[in-house]
Amino acid sequence: ARLWKLLTFVVALPGVGVCMLNCYLKAGHDHERPEFVPYAHLRIRTKPFPWGDGNKTLFHNPHVNALPTGYED
Amino acid sequence: MAHQAHSYHMVDPSPWPISGAAAALLTTSGLIMWFHHSSSQLLTLGLLSMILVMLQWWRDIVREGTFQGHHTPTVQKGLRYGMILFITSEAFFFLGFFWAFFHSSLAPTPELGGQWPPMGIKPLNPLEVPLLNTAILLASGVTVTWAHHSITESNRKQAIQALTLTILLGFYFTALQAMEYYEAPFSIADGVYGSTFFVATGFHGLHVIIGSSFLSVCLLRLIKFHFTSDHHFGFEAAAWYWHFVDVIWLFLYMTIYWWGS
Repeated sequence: ARLWKLLTFVVALPGVGVCMLNCYLKAGHDHERPEFVPYAHLRIRTKPFPWGDGNKTLFHNPHVNALPTGYED
Repeated sequence: MAHQAHSYHMVDPSPWPISGAAAALLTTSGLIMWFHHSSSQLLTLGLLSMILVMLQWWRDIVREGTFQGHHTPTVQKGLRYGMILFITSEAFFFLGFFWAFFHSSLAPTPELGGQWPPMGIKPLNPLEVPLLNTAILLASGVTVTWAHHSITESNRKQAIQALTLTILLGFYFTALQAMEYYEAPFSIADGVYGSTFFVATGFHGLHVIIGSSFLSVCLLRLIKFHFTSDHHFGFEAAAWYWHFVDVIWLFLYMTIYWWGS
């Protein structure tokens, strides 16, 4: 168990820490939202979703997810 | 008092198998009612009964093994085979979704702009949160191994510490993935890219939640002295499942997140 405890605190958790730092440093830039292009192969609505108004996906984020007709905001 | 002349476990009659089947029927028909008739009562009933059956069936297995001594080495061997076969079946389940991903991404159709990722899709940067998630799951593999060694060496304090750390890492992964799902500029409705991405990673996330729950139950049992240093198969099964979940993530990361960007 001593080996694995050592590996946990010397390799595994610091590795997670480094990746956390990396994400924190890279997350600065505010998302430049791509221009809306009404591609036919995206934002497919063959059938309404069984929730809400049927037009938004489960993890819909109005800031970054456009509806088939464009961004809501 | 009757004694058995063999080392197998002849299980007492139980209502859980048929109740589980009923729960499965309620859930599947409930899904149909929800999708096609905008009604969620049957589905709710189905999911509720499924959870109740799981809790009570597994509670009975813990009683039979830990408190009544029915889990002889022979029985344990059978349980090991069972868990290995189950995990193998899950591997095949994910294989299907990887097949679907490669089918669509190796020869992208003209409708997608003849490219992968498709026209208009901005994939997630694999070196940001996905890399962190990889580190988290790998770290949790180390901590669960630490927990296992602590159990076999009868080190209660370290076993509890290590298993708790494993579970916390699992929760951290789930929280990060949920955030990624919300922040992603593409959705499940974005053609075959969205379908393959969210179905594969979504089922993986579900398995992380299942694995974290399994480990949490093990932590509870560990604290309540259910495990001995040489008989703790429930923990081993959870650890195997957890390693499997980690391996699936590594494949997801290398194929969908990295190669697929």
